[in-house]
Amino acid sequence: MKAAIALDGLTKQYGQRTVVDDVTFAVPSGSIFGLLGPNGSGKSTTIKMLCGLVLPTSGSGSIDGLDIVAQSAAIRWHIGYMAQSNTMYEDLTADENLEFYARAYRLGPAERRDRKETLVNLMGLGPFLDVRSGLLSGGWQRRLALACALLHDPPIVFLDEPTAGIDPVARRDLWDLFFRLAEAGKTFFVTTHYMDEAERCSEVGYIYNGKLIACGTSVALRRLASVNRPDTTRYAIDAEEIMPTFAAVRALPYVRDATIFGHELHVVVESTASAERLASDLRGHAGWQAIRCVDPSLEDVFVTLTRESEK
Amino acid sequence: MRALFDFHGMGAMVYKEARHILREPTTLALIIAMPLMQLLIYGYAINMRVEHITTVYYSEDSGRLSDQFITALQGSGAFDIVGRVESPESLRQAIVAGTAHVGFDIPQNFSADILRHKPAPVQVLVDGSQSTIAEAAAAAAAQIGTSMALSLNSRAIKFQPIDVRPMILFNPSLRSPNFLVPGLIGLVLQNITMVLMALSVVAERARGTLDQVLVTPIGTTALLLGKIIPYTIVGFLDFGLVLVMMTTIFQVPIAGNLFVLLVLGAGFLMTSLGLGLLISTYAQSQIQALLMSAFLVIPSALLSGMFFQVQLMPPIMRVVAYTLPLTYFLEVLRGIIVRGATITELWLPAIATILFGLAALGLASLRFARTSA
Repeated sequence: MKAAIALDGLTKQYGQRTVVDDVTFAVPSGSIFGLLGPNGSGKSTTIKMLCGLVLPTSGSGSIDGLDIVAQSAAIRWHIGYMAQSNTMYEDLTADENLEFYARAYRLGPAERRDRKETLVNLMGLGPFLDVRSGLLSGGWQRRLALACALLHDPPIVFLDEPTAGIDPVARRDLWDLFFRLAEAGKTFFVTTHYMDEAERCSEVGYIYNGKLIACGTSVALRRLASVNRPDTTRYAIDAEEIMPTFAAVRALPYVRDATIFGHELHVVVESTASAERLASDLRGHAGWQAIRCVDPSLEDVFVTLTRESEK
Repeated sequence: MRALFDFHGMGAMVYKEARHILREPTTLALIIAMPLMQLLIYGYAINMRVEHITTVYYSEDSGRLSDQFITALQGSGAFDIVGRVESPESLRQAIVAGTAHVGFDIPQNFSADILRHKPAPVQVLVDGSQSTIAEAAAAAAAQIGTSMALSLNSRAIKFQPIDVRPMILFNPSLRSPNFLVPGLIGLVLQNITMVLMALSVVAERARGTLDQVLVTPIGTTALLLGKIIPYTIVGFLDFGLVLVMMTTIFQVPIAGNLFVLLVLGAGFLMTSLGLGLLISTYAQSQIQALLMSAFLVIPSALLSGMFFQVQLMPPIMRVVAYTLPLTYFLEVLRGIIVRGATITELWLPAIATILFGLAALGLASLRFARTSA
């Protein structure tokens, strides 16, 4: 399948600081690509370079085969962009914001009406058309911004932390929309902090300090050798009283790492120690029920990768 | 790279910009209330003509001519006699206390000396802390004294061999509004359009809405014109508003050609919009933009010749004054409105005004294009 988005050694430096460092990957068309990483890791700068808002220092990139520097004017018709912050005009109504972007994309009067209606129905914005966008809740502001970014029906959509700061229900609804649009053939490039959102992406890239540390499907990432070292085994311990169990586990000499996931404890132990040994060592401590062997979660993957690169 | 000369999307920008202006109550207030307020304040409160100066007097004279002199002072309109004091020291005290700005000390033989054709010296104490009052009061007192002497005794003419009668052209009554209000038009136009333009662009940059616009196919030229056109209309509305106020409330007629005035006004608007845009490319926040504007507004107000004549400034200040666009536009304004000058007589400030406009807008546009990828 041809790549909708391709980056080749893309680099951005501000003075001595390298914000995006030699990033290379490709996003197949029709997929939802998630770019993850802590704050300040270079996610937004990567998106801005791809959208033609920031000029790369070196390297190249392409959108639908168009060069992001030389052909940035042509690229504008291929992409929709939703920035990290709310970029709707707060003093204009939802309808006026839509009208402005429809005109910005040079849609004729009939086309404008048509596209606006389609998107208003898709997003359920009908009741809010005459409300000033600044008065809408976070979730509705995001929907409005998404509608504005989709007015010209772009094949590729960039979403910079689309769900930051909105409630879980609105977050779920928004993702349902992304899936529906992706099914219709659009390519999504999404940055996020949320692991559950990363799990939903068809492919995930993890960027840390400007460097792309890992990239692939979530299944492939879980099987990365650097995450599943041959001399260690990963167990999940179900526990009613998590804190005493956590303390007990950390006291064991062969435990490399322990992380709490609700009522579950993920423990990385040296392979020389078996599940039976772990169980017998924990026998004196009440509050836990069962020990299972598990694959790492995406969060495990990213925590491990971040610690590795910090070394 | 962004296409520089691409007008597509200009309509979209004007559509949204007009709504911003009409919807925001503070912007509307700024556009309408600020010129009204400034014009009223400068036009009414700052009156450089000297009238109703609070005055006290002390008289040792027993004759009736001293009363006549005091009546003449009061009748001139320049002086308001607020009291008679009982000692020469009290005159000084009244001025120190601020109850009066001028004190007349009339000597013992005032009436008798005049009737005997002897010079009758009247000492006038003037509050020098108010320099405009001081000069005018001294001059007015001397004039009243002379005319009274003349009316009493035609032989007094002998002491005045040269009769100097200055004739004041263009503003015969030396009314302050005729001098101040035309100048104020320039200041009001500059402040409002520059600040509005700077704030509007900085806000878009800071909030990220500018990025959202820049990913659309709107070209740089279209984007800039879309910003400039609505604020030019605002500028012309204000221009019209202050011109109407000037001719009606302050009774200052436009002696010259209105069309020439409007054309050169457009040139000056380009300058202030350009300066506003330039500020927006440096300022990171609206606060910074406001401070930068203030940095330009204060020298413009003080050095452009609005209150003080440029020719009378020290050389260094004069150099600064001639780098200010407002200095030239003020010459245009006073030339056309007060003196009725034609474009051929005003060619130098007229050309300077237009050149400043083209340069400011051109530079600002280039910088804007460079700072937004």
